[in-house]
Amino acid sequence: MSLALPGMPRLHPRLRRRELGLLLIVALALPVGSASLAATRALGTATSPPIGGIPLADGVALAWYLGGLFAAHFLLVLSGRRTDQVLLPTVGLLGGISLLLMERLPQGLAGGLGLGRTQLVWLLVSIGFIAGIGALVRSDAWLRLYKYSWAALGVGLLLVTFAFGHDVNGQRLTLTVGPLTGQPSELLKVILVVFLAGYLSENRPLLIEESTRLGPIRIPPLPYLAPMIAMWALALSIVVVQRDLGAALLFFAVFLLLLYVVTARASFVVLGLLALFAGGALLYELVPHVRVRVDIWLDPFATASGSGYQVVQALHAFARGGILGTGLGAGLPTIGGAPPIPALHTDFPFAALGEELGLIGIMGILGLYLVVIERGLRIAASAVDDFRAILAAGLSLVIGVQAFIIAAGNLKLIPLTGITLPFISYGGSSLLTNGVVVGLLIALSDRGAEAPRIPSELRGFRRLRDRGAA
Amino acid sequence: MTPDRPGRRPGIGVALGRVAVALTVAFGGLAAGAGYWQVVRSGELSSAPDDAAVIAAGRHVVRGEITDRDGERLAWSLTDANGEPYRKYLSNSLSGVLGYASRAFGSAGLERAYDAQLTGITSADPVQDLVKKFRAEPSDPQAIQTTLVAQLQEAAVRALGADRGAVVMLDPQTGDVLVIASTPVFDASAVADPETSAQAFGSLQGDPDKPLLPRATQGRYVPGSVFKIVTAIAALGSGAVSADTTFPEQPAGEKNGLVVSGYRVRDGHHGSTGSVALDFAGATEASCNIWYALAGLRTGGDALASWAGKLGFGEPIPFDLRTAASQVTGGGGSFGGGFTDAVELANAAYGQAETVVTPLQMALVTSTVANQGILMRPHLVRSFTGRAGTQDVDPEVWQRVLTSGQAREIAAAMQRAVEGPLGRQFTTGAQVNGLTVAGKSGTAELGGTGEPNSWFIGFAPAKNPEIVIAIVVEQGGRGSERAAPIGGDLLAAWKAWAGR
Repeated sequence: MSLALPGMPRLHPRLRRRELGLLLIVALALPVGSASLAATRALGTATSPPIGGIPLADGVALAWYLGGLFAAHFLLVLSGRRTDQVLLPTVGLLGGISLLLMERLPQGLAGGLGLGRTQLVWLLVSIGFIAGIGALVRSDAWLRLYKYSWAALGVGLLLVTFAFGHDVNGQRLTLTVGPLTGQPSELLKVILVVFLAGYLSENRPLLIEESTRLGPIRIPPLPYLAPMIAMWALALSIVVVQRDLGAALLFFAVFLLLLYVVTARASFVVLGLLALFAGGALLYELVPHVRVRVDIWLDPFATASGSGYQVVQALHAFARGGILGTGLGAGLPTIGGAPPIPALHTDFPFAALGEELGLIGIMGILGLYLVVIERGLRIAASAVDDFRAILAAGLSLVIGVQAFIIAAGNLKLIPLTGITLPFISYGGSSLLTNGVVVGLLIALSDRGAEAPRIPSELRGFRRLRDRGAA
Repeated sequence: MTPDRPGRRPGIGVALGRVAVALTVAFGGLAAGAGYWQVVRSGELSSAPDDAAVIAAGRHVVRGEITDRDGERLAWSLTDANGEPYRKYLSNSLSGVLGYASRAFGSAGLERAYDAQLTGITSADPVQDLVKKFRAEPSDPQAIQTTLVAQLQEAAVRALGADRGAVVMLDPQTGDVLVIASTPVFDASAVADPETSAQAFGSLQGDPDKPLLPRATQGRYVPGSVFKIVTAIAALGSGAVSADTTFPEQPAGEKNGLVVSGYRVRDGHHGSTGSVALDFAGATEASCNIWYALAGLRTGGDALASWAGKLGFGEPIPFDLRTAASQVTGGGGSFGGGFTDAVELANAAYGQAETVVTPLQMALVTSTVANQGILMRPHLVRSFTGRAGTQDVDPEVWQRVLTSGQAREIAAAMQRAVEGPLGRQFTTGAQVNGLTVAGKSGTAELGGTGEPNSWFIGFAPAKNPEIVIAIVVEQGGRGSERAAPIGGDLLAAWKAWAGR
């Protein structure tokens, strides 16, 4: 089957039955949730009075969102590539749950369009990135060949944030350029994975074959330890300068996991964890806000009305949810017009969903993230070469580990860090970046992909360099 | 580019598989963590008085009624001009136990402890809670029938009069609490009424007599001689002392003071016993500090502290209301059981030193003696009634402390302390016509020149005890002067109520 339109390259659409089927399930589930939410809000609950009338506007937002999902599906069909068909519906459901949650929270939490509408716009942009990258990006050379340029860009972005970023909630994460405001650390995680994929795939044989003995344990050959130490230092500096524990933990964990993927040496992971705990202990002693976070984690109830308030309120929210949940719209009693948990829409949507959807809903959402991880790692395992394998693994780990860190923080399994829950938390930077990540994963899953074409002038350069090295 | 697959190390595919397994396990951990908070801790946290849903529901749900054990209404709801509900209480005498529920100032007492049940956020039936989201009206306010007796509560507050103090009365066989009174009382209805609440609550907060402090459960007092019953339980229970034990050095110690580690322990009242070395019952009847100091030293700090622990000392008592912890010592000492040295132990054994107790704790000590050594868990609620029907709260054994023989020996000594020729001078006011009363008075020296706290603990009828009482009157003078007569009055009132 082929289609030809004047002025366009020949198209070879390929039906994606599995994706369509899964999207239809999503398109059934979300309106049910939306209707239940509208009914609950119209009738009122024990803790919130009825709003009087059915909020039709929510249905319109959902219609736009589902339209976006099907448009993305259509674009992927048109591209005719044999790529993954599970990722789009999976993150589509996560995003839909996010939309229902943001529609139901007090809209004043975001300025301008209001919380729900703003989130809808960013979700559509994110889906646009998924479909655009998934349909159009075929060569990975632009990622593979410029790893040090990407690294330089990442470090530059970090330095710019250090220097010009402004503090929000005590964290220096936010950068404003003209009318745009964003959190560069979100983008940084993708850049980091691209760099690591390039570096680790190139040095893989050396990392595997050689090692230095340090007493009973084997450590990587010393020259290759340098990037590990650099990563560790990078993580520490992010904590100290940006006060962003979450990003630091995410970067370091993804780095360690990728190092393990490349070398299959558990000793590297152990060594890395020891460095992590040593660094953590050092920071606990030296950096006040780290100590506060850890103390809150150890016993939030000791300061339930002070510094532990947010965490304790989140645990209460989980407890109120119980097994079946209160139902969408029936939880989160407001105190003075605001939900009980500060920064609910960015840092604690997992607790909010825990209350309204219950343990069952939590299991479902965790399951969706596991699907994303498993699909990503599957794409990695069937990749044609090391670079693509490590890149795909890194991209799926970025989503999986980030979801783990914030969910575990919400549940008081680890200290709380202020990172977002992928595809659910409110926020443009996060949605956009995760859209890029999933788009790249879909592009990398192309089983009909050709080997990367190295431009001829670079080929000459590489030959020169190889000769020099030999 | 061909992928390197060195034979020695597993390839990328294997490592990816292991990473996938590790992440699956990690996410399983998340699910387990969610299960912990959403199932294991769910009931406790979601019905806590500081839960946001409980607070929010308190603002616009019509709370369940609270009644006494005879069905008399103690607390009910009215509606203000805006159609919003507020609380009304039968009597000021209940303020120390029911507390208040106010839209502006939160809640206290029983209203706070069962906020979740009274507003219907949780019911007594977990299955109902599980499916409540499917009902049109999810909240199910519960009515609470308490174990209280309104007329005895009223009598207790009247007996305390203008003094600050507390009375606890409970049934030793079931743990049912009949009276928890604390004075001064306050007008909880005025705190709850939106028209008057700001003014009423403001003046209560500034009151130097602290009417908002529920003294029966959270007031911590030096016990004086009533603590001797704790020493007796530890001494007889551990076997360090028997009912026949006498101390030859005791008569001389009464005259000249007992030298413990170079420090002289003195007794305030001696002479009437002459130079007789008293046995356990005699020492209890005469309230002999020297005998008890020696018995405490022989029992040892570790045993005294651990037997007190069985009676509930050391930690807040698990009860419907929040309680303060009682202590035998400030702790931290190395002499055993946290005591600093022999002097502190000797003084603690007759209720001075660092020993502080709540009136509820002393009622439990007495209850243990009265119920043949078995301490029932104290409770304030008989039943919860909601749409799903009535859930009764059953009596529960909390601790088995003494054998019935040991308990009988202490009970007999306490009976002599009320009826014996020597005891009568302390506790004569506690006698009631037609009722055999056992008890112990206490005069707790506070140091300085102020009047001591006046204590009485007791039970009746002595043979088959049905009621236990503990009374403290702040700066009420000697136990015999103030607390013991209140004990007599209230036991008479109980006799009239119970038809004994």
